[in-house]
Amino acid sequence: MPTLLHYRRWQGTFHNAWWSVWPITRVALGSLLTRKLFWLLYGFGLLLFLMFFFGTFLLAWAESQLAVTQQQLGRFGDPGRMIMGIRRALNILNGSRETYQYFFSYQGGIVVVTLSLAGALLVGNDFTYRSLGFYLAKPISRWHYIAGKMLAVFLVVQMMTTLPALGLYAQHAFDDWDYLWNVDYFIERGHKGPAGIPLLAAVIAYGTLLSAFLSVLLAATASWMRRTMPLILVWMSTFFFMRLLANMLVDGLHYDARWRLIDLWSNLTLIGQGLLGFASDEITPKPHPEFWEAALMLTGVCTVCLIYLNRRTQAVEIVR
Amino acid sequence: MFIELHNISRTFGTTQALIDVNLRLDIGRIGLLGPNGAGKSTLMKILLGLLPPSAGSGRVLDHELADAPVALRRAIGYMSEADALIPGMQGADYVALAGELYGMSRKQALRRAHEVLTYLDLGEARYRKLEEYSTGMKQRLKLAQALVHDPPALLLDEPTSGMDPAGREAMLDLLRRLGTEHQKAILLSTHLLGDIDKVCDIVVILHQGRILCQGPVQQLCQSRHDRYHLQIQGEPNGFLDELRLEGVKVLHDNGQGAYRVQVPASWTTQAFFKLAQMHHVVIRGLQADNEDLEELFHRVIAENPPQAPG
Repeated sequence: MPTLLHYRRWQGTFHNAWWSVWPITRVALGSLLTRKLFWLLYGFGLLLFLMFFFGTFLLAWAESQLAVTQQQLGRFGDPGRMIMGIRRALNILNGSRETYQYFFSYQGGIVVVTLSLAGALLVGNDFTYRSLGFYLAKPISRWHYIAGKMLAVFLVVQMMTTLPALGLYAQHAFDDWDYLWNVDYFIERGHKGPAGIPLLAAVIAYGTLLSAFLSVLLAATASWMRRTMPLILVWMSTFFFMRLLANMLVDGLHYDARWRLIDLWSNLTLIGQGLLGFASDEITPKPHPEFWEAALMLTGVCTVCLIYLNRRTQAVEIVR
Repeated sequence: MFIELHNISRTFGTTQALIDVNLRLDIGRIGLLGPNGAGKSTLMKILLGLLPPSAGSGRVLDHELADAPVALRRAIGYMSEADALIPGMQGADYVALAGELYGMSRKQALRRAHEVLTYLDLGEARYRKLEEYSTGMKQRLKLAQALVHDPPALLLDEPTSGMDPAGREAMLDLLRRLGTEHQKAILLSTHLLGDIDKVCDIVVILHQGRILCQGPVQQLCQSRHDRYHLQIQGEPNGFLDELRLEGVKVLHDNGQGAYRVQVPASWTTQAFFKLAQMHHVVIRGLQADNEDLEELFHRVIAENPPQAPG
């Protein structure tokens, strides 16, 4: 080394430590967005979005065709029942609260799979490769680091849920401007639920709820498990086996509905449906716990995760 | 003033990692020496504002340890012993990220990263992924991320760990020049005495949580007058046996009549000449010999044997 070149002094002003959150997020996102597997999973999510996006047109076309081709279709079944089926499907795809309920529900599955695969990359590697020491030796607190990582996960979930949901909303708004401005758009057409800005706010709130909760959960579990396989097992247990267990206890053994609280995804969808304007008796699955009970459960899980993250980042030896 | 500590103690459960540490060090190149478990890491953590002391107070570069850990870390560039690299990143991005974490804007951080990497002779490797760096390059990269915001002080933890001799020499030369030519305050924690010898002008020896000795290296090494370089002509055996009987230790014998000896406390130089005359040996050279850093370190540690806990 060094034929030393001259050393130049640097004089400038430093930003506040909160400005460091974005670089942490950017680096985490950069490591994820360069992976082909992420884009493959994102592609699956996009297919679902396209199904919702074009499904409306397809079903509307199918309904119009049924009227003129009843004779030919009669050979395949009862045309009346087929029309009813299509109309039911149209209710799901018509941009109402049901549309977003189903969309978030289906998209959530892909989000959970993506996050369980990406957790090690986004957070776990910092513990495995001791990069956390690099961050925490800088003039930031551990909460800046945690905020940066959670923001990265938050944005990934937003990219996969809220962003396409807003795309669906925009599609319906462009189709009929009344959808955007008239709160009673669906009520006037014999359906239930809000439209317009309240629906838009509910969609954003539902996506934000999912993103916020999953970002806290992923940051905590990935700092605990670090590696991909253990992380997948933990997430599958949390979102798949706990759901099976909750269904078995409540539906099979007729235990109290509060046993559904152990199913975190059910809690998320319960609150999400509440945000979308579903009344308690319209919410599925039945029976279900109260909104506040589900919210309390999610808040409790988040609190435990944050306490764990605090302890976990404290335990890292920056100087050994 | 670089470091000013008053009665700093740190306890972990029943273990006392630091006991009444008092330090007053001006800007300079300071070596922190101590065996494993001496409390070096705990002291470094306290100086970085990562760990509050259990008792006592202190300032680093005019930042109170207890009050402003974030401002304190902004004034310091820390180079860790562990790699702490982010897999998949390029060298330039890694150093720029460090700049952003110190509070620089993205544009400034990138520009500065390129400057520092060029200065540290990593210009060619700046777009390589970190996994592809050799050990020596990783050490320089870690120094680059510590230097990116041009801090007045550097805290370096084993900066030459794992480097080959040529790379080590170059790194030490670089650190010395950062101290002398660019007035960086340097605190170098290492177990390699040679590193401190080459870079530092002040040494602090820490053992069992206590400061055993601190001061300019040269002054500490010169403070003893019980060692001599002795050069004789003639048959040495009888003369050397007599010296040993008088309590003189022969530390080194080059086989050609040159010896390094350590004399007891009551010894006078006249005694050499008397014994030489008795054994028909001619003394051709006699001069006081300084203690080197390694000897100083071992002596200080030996004079303060391990104490039972409690």
